Amino acid sequence: MGSHTSSRAQGSQAASQALGRLKRVARDPVLAAAALITLGSLIVFVLYPLASVVDQSFRPGEGYSAAAYGEVLKSAYLRKAFTNSLGMSLATSMTGTLIGFIFAFAVVRANVPLKKFFNIVAVIPIVSPPFIGALAIIMLFGNNGLITWNLLKIQNFPIYGFNGLFLAQVVTFFPVAYMTMKGVLESMNPVLEDAALNLGGSRLNVFLRVTLPLAVPGIASSILLLFVETLADFGNPLILAGSKFPILSVQAYLQIVGMYDLPKGAAISVFLLIPSVLAFFLQRAIVGRKKYTTVTGKPQASSGKIVSPGARGLLFALCIAVSALVVLIYLSILLGALAKVWGYDHSLTLEHFKFVFGVGFKAVRDTLMIAGIATPIAGLFGMIIAFLVARTKIPGKKLIETTSILSFAVPGTVIGIGYILAFNHKPLVLTGTLAILLLNFVFRYIPVGIESGTAILQQIDPSIEEAAVDLGADARRTFFRITLPMIVPAFFSGLVFAFVRAMTAVSAAIFLVSSRWNLMTVHIMSQVESGNLGAAAAYSVILVVIVAAAIGLIRLALRAQYGRFGGNMLHF
Amino acid sequence: MKKILAIAAIALALAAIPAFAKPGQTVVVYSSVDEVNAKKILDAFTAETGTAVQFVQLSSGPAYARIKAESNNPQADVWFGAPSENHIIAKNEKLTQAYKGSGFDALGKEFKDPDGFWRSFYMNPMAFAVNKEVLARIGAPKPTSWADLLNPAFKGQIQMPSPQSSGTAYNVVASLVVMMGEDKAYDYMKKLAPNIQTYTSSGTAPSKAVQVGQCAVALQFTPAFFEAIVKGFPVEVIFPKEGVWFEAPAVSILKGARNLAAAQELVDWLSSVKGQNVMTDKQTFFYPVVAGAKLGTGMPAFESLKTIDIDPLWAGEQKKRLVERWVQEVLTAK
Repeated sequence: MGSHTSSRAQGSQAASQALGRLKRVARDPVLAAAALITLGSLIVFVLYPLASVVDQSFRPGEGYSAAAYGEVLKSAYLRKAFTNSLGMSLATSMTGTLIGFIFAFAVVRANVPLKKFFNIVAVIPIVSPPFIGALAIIMLFGNNGLITWNLLKIQNFPIYGFNGLFLAQVVTFFPVAYMTMKGVLESMNPVLEDAALNLGGSRLNVFLRVTLPLAVPGIASSILLLFVETLADFGNPLILAGSKFPILSVQAYLQIVGMYDLPKGAAISVFLLIPSVLAFFLQRAIVGRKKYTTVTGKPQASSGKIVSPGARGLLFALCIAVSALVVLIYLSILLGALAKVWGYDHSLTLEHFKFVFGVGFKAVRDTLMIAGIATPIAGLFGMIIAFLVARTKIPGKKLIETTSILSFAVPGTVIGIGYILAFNHKPLVLTGTLAILLLNFVFRYIPVGIESGTAILQQIDPSIEEAAVDLGADARRTFFRITLPMIVPAFFSGLVFAFVRAMTAVSAAIFLVSSRWNLMTVHIMSQVESGNLGAAAAYSVILVVIVAAAIGLIRLALRAQYGRFGGNMLHF
Repeated sequence: MKKILAIAAIALALAAIPAFAKPGQTVVVYSSVDEVNAKKILDAFTAETGTAVQFVQLSSGPAYARIKAESNNPQADVWFGAPSENHIIAKNEKLTQAYKGSGFDALGKEFKDPDGFWRSFYMNPMAFAVNKEVLARIGAPKPTSWADLLNPAFKGQIQMPSPQSSGTAYNVVASLVVMMGEDKAYDYMKKLAPNIQTYTSSGTAPSKAVQVGQCAVALQFTPAFFEAIVKGFPVEVIFPKEGVWFEAPAVSILKGARNLAAAQELVDWLSSVKGQNVMTDKQTFFYPVVAGAKLGTGMPAFESLKTIDIDPLWAGEQKKRLVERWVQEVLTAK
């Protein structure tokens, strides 16, 4: 049979398959409705806001023009912001990945002492507000910082700008690299390295020719992931960049909030959007292209032979140094919350906590409520999408998948601007309401549910669900009675992550809060901006405590319900 | 999912229930004064007159948008706070109504609309604050004028907000432009740049820095400076001799106000000496606008301030261009 006929046969086969799919979908109204509602809401709450940003950026006055882009390109200051943002993201993603790799290698391969402690140190920043590093760095090295001013009496220590921001972002984002690299190293069978050593390879040689090449896709993916996260970061640069080291996300925000110049803010955010989305999809392509796991049966513990005692000592010292910085950061936040006037009068007081529980308590309540409502909806919605994408043959599922993942690639600043542009006029007037915050969080954290759902669904044999369908269950019944129970642990694991992100998010939310609905993170930012470090630190302590308590509770509940397995599903 | 939606719906419904009005007179206020101080002032009004106040907190932009959107069916009686140019625009858009009443004639002309559509009920002048301990340490003389700030002894010792994010800082830029002429003003700001430690994004951050001795001089509106003095920080407020501009938040009665009598009572009270004394008694640290009202610690007599006359509408129109020029010329100055 010639290739020509076979491709034609395939073509007609595909067509009839598609027709069959449509027929099946039409026969199952619940599935059809779920697919339609999902697609519709993704279009309205993900694509429409993004389209509004692009649309607004081309409408600086009456009618369409590229004048706003001209203004951005003409401004030497904004051009500097663009190169600063890219350069900073590059530097952070490289350094962060290096430190993450060293941490992961030390913990997984080198068998250093205090492994558990290093693991905790690398996880804490993930569950904290992303700007805690910046806050602490100001408290330690700022103009009246504990170290620079109180101890060393240096005034005007150059912490604003590249130095401080780089330090803060590396501390904030190296844990993401650590998690990725840890996963990669754990899935690489150490027997390979041991075999190479037994064959007479030197340690360095084996590391360079076996370990590193196997880790390269993971390293590349981690660098790109960090690049996207750093580029999107808003809290750290708002606090630390200073006006002499402009950063794109902050400049977009200032144009809109300070100058009420929506078109220019939108144009700046398009310059932020393009590299983010490119890097994000490049990262997904790398991860998706190649499965580099070498799991065969039980994962095996490393013999640790690849690391010489000297190298182990060096790795240990490096880990201790980074850990010391992380611990110092959290200690200074705690002390800052208790000190009367940081940098001036360090007598202990509870007045900052009184302030948070008095004037600021509404924000605590609002934050808990918003995160508490948005998280389960995002998780469930994500699961439904995971099910639609991984298990059904509905038309348009590629679009559903890409759109829902997109909100992870888009910097929060761009989404926030998109939401105020899209929902401050008819047909959907939502600015100033609770709904706009909820919707923003739900659609931002859907990908978390999708990721964990898809991952686990791929491990469950579809024949179980097919059996249910054969026995006469429809899509809804299959999902709720068969699929959902199997994926509950992953569901909660994703949920915890979404909850943490919702509690600590600031970049999009800062555009959407109102006097009726405000968030702790936004309050922290404004306290930092107006120089009330004590109140900001007290808010941060309470926020971290709430998040830690929530993680602990969900973990306990899962452990009670599903035994050790359930508890372990949480990677926190 | 249903359960969650139900919870969300209940939460929404609860949030939407308005505070129940007390019997007797009530006035509905859209407040653009910061919430803490708005509460201090309006609570004092209720305590003294028995007229209840329902207030919704809205910053000036959203408040204006809402008043305009509701103009056919006004939901509020009074717009309380927001810089006077907002009230000028509201008057021009025919969203407010004229009322003079008692106390109007005593106000200075810079604090009121000649036709009575709005009036300012407090003001905050721009000023320097110096930390006396830091001045002694760096051996710099006390600055008494804008020109004194150029002294190289202040290198890296001055904090002011950035006009990119702060209306307070734009107040500085606009007043320098009016006093010196535009090009000279930008020359001045460029020469000042090496002395600036940092341009803060918030308009109230410099006061926090100067009170703990992080810098020698801070530039911003005065309330936080006077608060620092009361708290015992070694800070002194200086009004530069060339003059300063000020912000003068105003109050208007909305057209079609349903509780007109109560609204007029509030406006009368705000312009009375009694109402003005509340600014100082309740520690808002706002400057009263009526001669004879109480002044807080460290506040020079109101009449002695040298203020310059700027058309707030002109300042608003020039803002985009002047801030842009500031970013291009001053921020990049070495």
